[in-house]
Amino acid sequence: MSKLYLCAIALLATLSINGYCEDAPAAEKRFGQGGGRPSEAQIAEWRAKREAREGQAATADAPSPAGSGAHGDMSAMSGMTGMAGMPGMKDEGSLRSGRSGGKPSMKGMPEGAARSGGRPSGMGMRSGGALWLSDTPPMRGDGARGGRSGMAGMDMSGGGWGKPAVKRLWLRAGNDPQRSGFAQEDADAQVETLLVTPDGKPEGEPLPSASDDRKGLSFEMPVQGFYRLYLTSRKLQGDILNVNVAKAEVANFGHGGDVEEAARGLQATRYSESAPLEIVRERKPDERKFFQLKSGEDQVFIVLKKGLPLQGARVRMVSYQGWSKEEVSDEQGRVSFQIVRDYFPPWNEFEKRFKATYLLIAEANAAETGKYQDKPYTSVRYQASLSGNYYPSPTDYLSYAWALGVGMAILLFCGVAVYLYRRRRVKPYQEERFHEGK
Amino acid sequence: MKASSPRLQALRDAVNHVHFNRFRFWFQLAAFVLFVYGGYLAIDLGSRLPFFACGYNQEGRAGVCYLLPLQHQLSLPWARLFSYAGIAVLTGFLIFALWFIFLNKGWCGFICPLGTIQDWLTSLRRRLGIRYSTYSHGQFAQLTKVKYLLLALMILIPLGIGGGLFSHSMSPPFCLICPARMILPMFTGDFSQFTIDFSSSAAMVMTALGISITALFLVGSFVKKRFFCFFCPMSALHYLISKPALLKLKKDGSKCTRCGDCYNVCDMEIKEIADDIKNTNIMTDDCTMCLKCVASCPETGALKATFAGIPIFESTEAGFIKRMGKGVQHGK
Repeated sequence: MSKLYLCAIALLATLSINGYCEDAPAAEKRFGQGGGRPSEAQIAEWRAKREAREGQAATADAPSPAGSGAHGDMSAMSGMTGMAGMPGMKDEGSLRSGRSGGKPSMKGMPEGAARSGGRPSGMGMRSGGALWLSDTPPMRGDGARGGRSGMAGMDMSGGGWGKPAVKRLWLRAGNDPQRSGFAQEDADAQVETLLVTPDGKPEGEPLPSASDDRKGLSFEMPVQGFYRLYLTSRKLQGDILNVNVAKAEVANFGHGGDVEEAARGLQATRYSESAPLEIVRERKPDERKFFQLKSGEDQVFIVLKKGLPLQGARVRMVSYQGWSKEEVSDEQGRVSFQIVRDYFPPWNEFEKRFKATYLLIAEANAAETGKYQDKPYTSVRYQASLSGNYYPSPTDYLSYAWALGVGMAILLFCGVAVYLYRRRRVKPYQEERFHEGK
Repeated sequence: MKASSPRLQALRDAVNHVHFNRFRFWFQLAAFVLFVYGGYLAIDLGSRLPFFACGYNQEGRAGVCYLLPLQHQLSLPWARLFSYAGIAVLTGFLIFALWFIFLNKGWCGFICPLGTIQDWLTSLRRRLGIRYSTYSHGQFAQLTKVKYLLLALMILIPLGIGGGLFSHSMSPPFCLICPARMILPMFTGDFSQFTIDFSSSAAMVMTALGISITALFLVGSFVKKRFFCFFCPMSALHYLISKPALLKLKKDGSKCTRCGDCYNVCDMEIKEIADDIKNTNIMTDDCTMCLKCVASCPETGALKATFAGIPIFESTEAGFIKRMGKGVQHGK
């Protein structure tokens, strides 16, 4: 009997998974326009295109001294040709694989380093793409789950009973969340790091830089709320001033703790008026302490320049697998992206809590003149980055139909069994008469 | 007993003569509304509650059943669980115990939303004129151990998860098979728990088991009074820490005539309530402290509920006569 149950369960699983994988249109409908699973044919087509492009890039890329192609990545963002056909992007024409070739930003570094996540030769965009702050070091690999997790999906280390939690971030350079390597210090660039605490000064306080970039940037989080770390790099190249702002937002909330403090932390301002350019993730109306972004959801970001919305900024979102999409901010500085579903492992390797990193890069040029380190400049190129995490949709692999079927079957079976059992035990009516007279 | 003032005596008489079933119905309804919809009024009584205020009822819950955070805590990696995180487990248990000792198993009989649903199903069956089922003494003796087995599994499986022996997809194991996870969110229009999760084999088995047990719960509760309470690990946990509880069920054996009315109305079929005339503290591990036995007892002072030693509800002859035909209904 137990073997029969096991067989039935195995059959259910097989049917369900097969049905799920083959039913791509239904899946697309379920997850919205962007969340559907691409068909095998589509995936094969994209792979072929990607491989072809990578082949072209390998022949086109030639190592060049660090410093050449200073603004290559910015031009790449608006000029790359797209890979059409990826579901989930509102504008298919703007879709690209960030990992594939056609990345001028990678020209300044050896091919091996660019592809393997090795260290780029210089800081900033020219050497390894955008600067960004990550909660995982490059070598950790896919869906890192080691160490303490939490904090809005950002890994945390340190802390302990009675001690504040310690957050550790790494500065990385590149346009691909998976393949970006550590950013190296650039002697020509001036870097400042600012930590804004939930109850601290609105403009933040300087954070001492780590002596070794592999150690990352660590800070304590004694109160509940959002901690924001801004790493601003300024560098003059010719008559153009490059200003790069890498920002990380870390949520620090606990299950217990001060309720009022948590409420204040949730409502606190989450932008800095002193940041040259920054990206702010817009809170959702129903967002609580332990928010997680899921594949298939829409997310709005706001581009702010010195705390004011910036219209016309080019914003690119790069998914964990390297798919990217570019939008231009509207008059309110807002851009909206649907979080693409790009996690398709074999069924037995699927992890429901798989943490994937997205990278957001915003760029804007301004005809501003001035002097930087006693040298004049005639324009400023701003770049801001923000990374975060997203997880598989909670509805992935869930089946209402099977639940209803199993539930109804057991309900009927048990109901009928009880009825038959009782019916079997009913004794026919028997009457026995006693006659006292006899 | 000391002579009490006339006002106090009048109050006691009013309580002892109350239409108990009516009172209990409205009390349960109020508790159900509070704990299933209280979240909409921003009520939050924490996550250490000693009854099934289901945490999966995301929007409406006014608190969370302790079994959910307990299982989450126990499934922490051992290195953390057996260091500073262990203190959080202990403090959590302490808060749960403080909640519990206030009402003892009265949480089950008067507050638990899942218990209330079972009482409603019983009421429906009675109105349909369908008779209820009972266990034989042999079945009772065997089945009463199941709740301890479930309690042990509920603790051991999360520990195994923390130690890497079991998949995280099994967490929290009891919640995944608890009918409250499926049924209570449904009252706020959330049917998302009525699913089978095919993301992993462990999740598939657990959620399929959950759906199966929910179906069993619905059938079982319809034909058997308080069907699920008999297997509830929370009930087992209650009993293990029930000694210091403030609410007690007392019996005066010298006043008991062993008429069996208390046993007849007992939803849990606890025979000791009628047979045991030696022990004064009559609550057993299956008892839900619904106090129907007190209401149905015709002997004055034979059964009583006390709070911190003070009698708050006592069996009286007058109360029994008043309730006859309206309140407790024998044999149904």
